[in-house]
Amino acid sequence: MQSCKIGVYICQCGTNIAKMVDCEALVAFAETLPEVALAKTYKYMCSNPGQDMIVQDIQANGLDRVVVAACSPRMHERTFRNALQVAGLNPYFFEMANIREHCSWVHDDPVAATQKAKALVRGAVLRVARHEALERKTVDMCPEVLVIGGGIAGLTAALDIADAGHRVHLVERQGSLGGNLARIDLTAPFLNAARDLLTERITRVTESERIDVMLHSRVVNLDGFIGNYRATVEVRDADGLPRKTEFLVGNVIVATGYQEFEASRITHYGYGKLPNVVTSFEFELMLRHGRIQMADGHLPRFVSIIHCVGSRSQEFHGYCSRVCCMTALKYAHEVRSAIPGCHVSDIYIDMHAFGKGHEDFYRRSSEVKTLFLMYRKGDRPVIRRADPGDTCDMLIEVNEQLSGETIEIPADLVVLMVGMEARSDAHEVARLVNISQDKEGWFIESHPKLDPVATTTDGVYIAGTCAAPKDIPDTVAQARASAARILAKVARGRIEVDAVYAEVDEARCSGCRICNDLCPYSAIEFDAVKKVSRVISAVCKACGACGAACPSGAIKARHFTDAQIFAQIEGVLL
Amino acid sequence: MSFEPRIVGFLCNWCSYTGADLAGTSRIHYPPNVHIIRVMCSARIDPTFVLKALAQGADGVLVCGCHPGDCHYTDGNYKAMRRFPLLKRVLDAYGLEKDRVRLEWVSASEGQRFADVVSDMTERIRPLGPCRIRPGLQADMAER
Repeated sequence: MQSCKIGVYICQCGTNIAKMVDCEALVAFAETLPEVALAKTYKYMCSNPGQDMIVQDIQANGLDRVVVAACSPRMHERTFRNALQVAGLNPYFFEMANIREHCSWVHDDPVAATQKAKALVRGAVLRVARHEALERKTVDMCPEVLVIGGGIAGLTAALDIADAGHRVHLVERQGSLGGNLARIDLTAPFLNAARDLLTERITRVTESERIDVMLHSRVVNLDGFIGNYRATVEVRDADGLPRKTEFLVGNVIVATGYQEFEASRITHYGYGKLPNVVTSFEFELMLRHGRIQMADGHLPRFVSIIHCVGSRSQEFHGYCSRVCCMTALKYAHEVRSAIPGCHVSDIYIDMHAFGKGHEDFYRRSSEVKTLFLMYRKGDRPVIRRADPGDTCDMLIEVNEQLSGETIEIPADLVVLMVGMEARSDAHEVARLVNISQDKEGWFIESHPKLDPVATTTDGVYIAGTCAAPKDIPDTVAQARASAARILAKVARGRIEVDAVYAEVDEARCSGCRICNDLCPYSAIEFDAVKKVSRVISAVCKACGACGAACPSGAIKARHFTDAQIFAQIEGVLL
Repeated sequence: MSFEPRIVGFLCNWCSYTGADLAGTSRIHYPPNVHIIRVMCSARIDPTFVLKALAQGADGVLVCGCHPGDCHYTDGNYKAMRRFPLLKRVLDAYGLEKDRVRLEWVSASEGQRFADVVSDMTERIRPLGPCRIRPGLQADMAER
């Protein structure tokens, strides 16, 4: 092996690393490692001055390998690879040691943390010495896009892409477009009609020559990689028979939305047993039909709205569903305008009014004599049937927090503000497009703050409430963001794909074909004439399964070779 | 000073490494004994990686992948799972205690679980003392 000149850079990450890891000691240690030409520490290696330092050192000192000990490579590997490229060095001559997420943030003993950081740096140094220059390939980018879900997110994304001149395949499970928003009457806080928001979108989508709308349909398979996905969709004919259609797309937007919390899971609210306890969606239906009424057809004189049904609780969902507070205020408004004189009470935990116009809306609702009663998380109000002589249908007992008293109020109609939850079939979608779900079932973004619509699978984007509860403006913003991300890539025509894939050394291949069946992507073909296996690099996704299984050691998992990993093993065992 | 085991952890990039990152961003503390090596998929973890680590002086090896049914590469974790009992048989023949080598599923959202696995493994290996099969393994691997 040729000797090399390695530069080691220890990031302090402000104090995130430096407060637990002795960065100066780490520099001194790195200088003693084989083939290390220089080692430095700096406050923020990812900053422009930090990156410039690396670029200048490469050029001035002839460094040919770089190790940065900092955060997770999932955060900044790309940043530093770019810096190497700027300096004229192959970007794969780089390795990161994760001394923040895997060290300074999880340990509380500075001596032990520094010792572990040394081991991780040593692993990276020994590994990078065995790195090889890899060339990235470019592939064609199919401009067509698959949008899964015909709610407000899917409709919006589809229109942006079609408006830019590209074909969109919009797949919707239901028999109509609009998703959950189509079940809503007015929207908070500006009281626009959901129908108005949707009608314009749906009309344009269905009339667009570039958007192929498939109703009663579902995506059953997705193969390929960014720029070159092959989608299989099961479409139902007019006579209800399923038929499969296949097409090529370059990118996919997942906009599958949410489902509402099943209110009967909270047994003591009596949903399903008490006829006048309804969910917010059932109440929306009354509003859309223009008549707020009890089960017996009478007008209610007392309407109670209970917040956080299934949300912000230990037994059900810990998170806030974000839209229910404002929707509840909207109900108070709509009830009072439909039934003047009707008493409205609003039973809440906290009033979350974080968005544009929300606080104003809350103030205006308070001024119209809505009775606000605050209950404590976990101490839910109790609903019971009223006694025969009472002039109302039900009674609600609330341990009211602000007054400290137990208050009983009459109710003719109770509206349960059911929260949002991940769809029960979200897992199927996640498997289909190869993305992950968090512990609540929401799809995980590439980075929660910096890359909120991309996923860990290149070419697959998420928008709207399939990623977490959010309101319409945020959903629309994400839909348009994902469309913009795709259009930016489509505009370039071709796309660079990672240079990490498997390779067969034909001289060592015995032609046993074990790898052929092992590959989940059928990326390994057999050359019957030469009697050797060969990897189709564009199809390979670099899992490395074949490399681990090859009995003759003929398959090299590029950038994760045996030699590189053996060196890292030796290195981390300091 | 009491014996501190040195453990090498092979983590798949998509679930387990991300889960370990989440333990970090959530500031969940765990013992510093596991040194992590990232691979793209648990299916890449050649049994010789585990043998190599033990031969190089590791007192334990942790292998982590996505939960069954959740692999980024469809079914790589099943390949890792199928391979594991065979590896265990080899290690049994060397007389290795069963707690020293472990296969665990850790998803991208299971930072706490990763921390718990590391804590538990460290606690179990500490009373075992240094790994004793190293000389035998080293000799056999040198022959290969």
